[in-house]
Amino acid sequence: MIIDNPQILFFLETLIFISIIFIHLSKKNSFVIFLYMMQSLVVALFLLSASLKESSWALALVAAAVFMVKVIIAPHFFRDLIKRHQLKFSVSTYLNGPMTLVVLAALTAFSYSSFFNPLVILSKDNFNALLLAVAAMLISVFVIINRKGALSQMIGILSLENAIVSFAFLAGLEQNAGLQLGIVFDILVWIIIATVFASMIYKQFGSLDVSVMKNLKEE
Amino acid sequence: MAIFLILAIPLVASVLSFLVRKKTGSLSFIAVAASALELLAAVVMTLAVSKNGLYSLGNNFSVDYLGAIVMLTLAITGFPIAVYSVGYLKAEMDKGIIGFRRIKQYFILFHLFILAMFFAITTTSSILMWIGIEATTLATAFLISFYNKPSAMEAAWKYLIINSLGLLLAFFGTLLFLYPALSGGHHELITWQALLAGGLSMDPFIAKMAFIFVLIGYGTKVGLVPMHTWRPDAYSKTPVPVVALFSGSLLNVAFLAILRLKLVVDLSVGKEFSQNLLMFFGLASIIVAAFSIFAQKNYKRLLAYSSIEHAGIMALGFGFGGAGAFAALLHMVYHALAKSMLFLSAGNVFLKYSSTKIKNIRGVMSVLPITGVLFIFGFLAVTGVLPFGIFITEFSILSVGIINHPFVTAAALLGIALVFIGFLKHIIAMMFGEKDQSIQSGETSAWLVAPIIFLAVILLIVSFFVPSAINFLITSATLPY
Repeated sequence: MIIDNPQILFFLETLIFISIIFIHLSKKNSFVIFLYMMQSLVVALFLLSASLKESSWALALVAAAVFMVKVIIAPHFFRDLIKRHQLKFSVSTYLNGPMTLVVLAALTAFSYSSFFNPLVILSKDNFNALLLAVAAMLISVFVIINRKGALSQMIGILSLENAIVSFAFLAGLEQNAGLQLGIVFDILVWIIIATVFASMIYKQFGSLDVSVMKNLKEE
Repeated sequence: MAIFLILAIPLVASVLSFLVRKKTGSLSFIAVAASALELLAAVVMTLAVSKNGLYSLGNNFSVDYLGAIVMLTLAITGFPIAVYSVGYLKAEMDKGIIGFRRIKQYFILFHLFILAMFFAITTTSSILMWIGIEATTLATAFLISFYNKPSAMEAAWKYLIINSLGLLLAFFGTLLFLYPALSGGHHELITWQALLAGGLSMDPFIAKMAFIFVLIGYGTKVGLVPMHTWRPDAYSKTPVPVVALFSGSLLNVAFLAILRLKLVVDLSVGKEFSQNLLMFFGLASIIVAAFSIFAQKNYKRLLAYSSIEHAGIMALGFGFGGAGAFAALLHMVYHALAKSMLFLSAGNVFLKYSSTKIKNIRGVMSVLPITGVLFIFGFLAVTGVLPFGIFITEFSILSVGIINHPFVTAAALLGIALVFIGFLKHIIAMMFGEKDQSIQSGETSAWLVAPIIFLAVILLIVSFFVPSAINFLITSATLPY
């Protein structure tokens, strides 16, 4: 179960990367949530592998907490949000489909450019996977910028967090178990607050499309 | 012990506020007592730090020179803001704007916000500091949407998303800073000291990349241009006492994170890299704020842009380094006092006129004579007019800059002058002129005036006389910069 083969790590990081690409392309909210669940499962696997490698119960607890929060609780909250407000389809993007793909390709190419080569010092074996994690981070930021839906923006933030955690794992920058639990708790609180806000936004504006929120422009 | 107290007091105050049933007086008592005790603990710790150089609680919590200044500033502004909150919320309750449930919610989150800031200041771990600063976002999101209006909801969402994004970038930067310490198989809490020790062996590219992410990330919280966009929106919708804390304290706490990690990158690549970045963001903030202030129609947004300008001045001071850094840290203290004073005065204006639009505010000097004088006092202080300390700190920063960076300094001077003119234009319109006949003259309550006078007196005293202990702390804290 210990995952330390660079090819397997690269494959798993590819799953995270592809999930974020499909988040960009997906029209259905339920599919976006499924993709987030899948990438979170990979992150939980990474952490479980780290716990087995270190033979640490504390790290296993972290992996279990990540699984509970990101794979079970967060998707449950999001599905509940969709059900309550009948939000089957996610709202549109600022850039159209082809342009979005062009930007995704450019961001991925940038991650693999010579600019990021010095990152090799962090992990020679997993260098390719590390660069893919950087690409996953950049395209997650682009999810937040490009998607008009509040739910998509939330998933964008959480995908960015997953990409950073996977980067940290690949680069050997994992924190001790106590700190990781603190971060997971922080994410859980964030998910709860963001979901409550999304619900409040729907009540106020009748939509989760953030582009309809124009009250502040009047001032 | 004092560190334990300063963390335990707001936590206990928040729990007690949660348990209070129907008695607004109890919530008020808890808030005032807690903030007074926090101030006491902060003074005790500051004196200890000025004597011994460090005040620690185990390996996980510690206050150094820099931390002591930020902590004391938070406690000194926190006390009058807590007192003011009591009067402000009571006035809003009397007007029927809010009820007991809202007041209770306010105080629970208010104490958690204070706790998160004290936690971020006192922790010895950069990751725990990040968690503390992230917790400030979570504690205050519901305070921004406090009035439950569409515009408040919009501002709160913008705040939550922009700050969360910024802080995740800061998290990534912070992780990169940890790699020299972690490469040795370090599984304990990595302290600031361990980070500094690893600074020399850090790869220059990774150090630069890490600092860029940290500066953009925490710079979002500070409100540096171009990551400032949440600030005017959030400020215009949040209850005034919380905005005073945003501007006077949260800004300083986020700046503290940047300054701590600046020392690490400086060890790896030299000072010039971080100084140039700080100068760039500092100047951009001053210039954008200067032009934005002219066009403002809302006085809370006006004050928000003023905070952006001052964040820029502080960044510029640390960018110039040396005596500029000393002036920048002193500027941080003066700004916290003056801006808290201004926001609380703005709160009195809002309670009386029920509007944040500048065009609706006329004749404040005749309607609210004491608040009017204090507002003008705050305006003069914050725009750097003699005899206030901000004049000295701005003058010192620009004097340092003119030697090595004359063009940057000239542009900053122009920006500061523009801010004064723009601010003055709005202040004259608000303070003088014909008041609306329907508005009754007279201050609302002593609770709403006394805290502002308290801040004004402290500001005036420290403008003329900086206590030797504070002077020593600032000098010691800024020596490495």
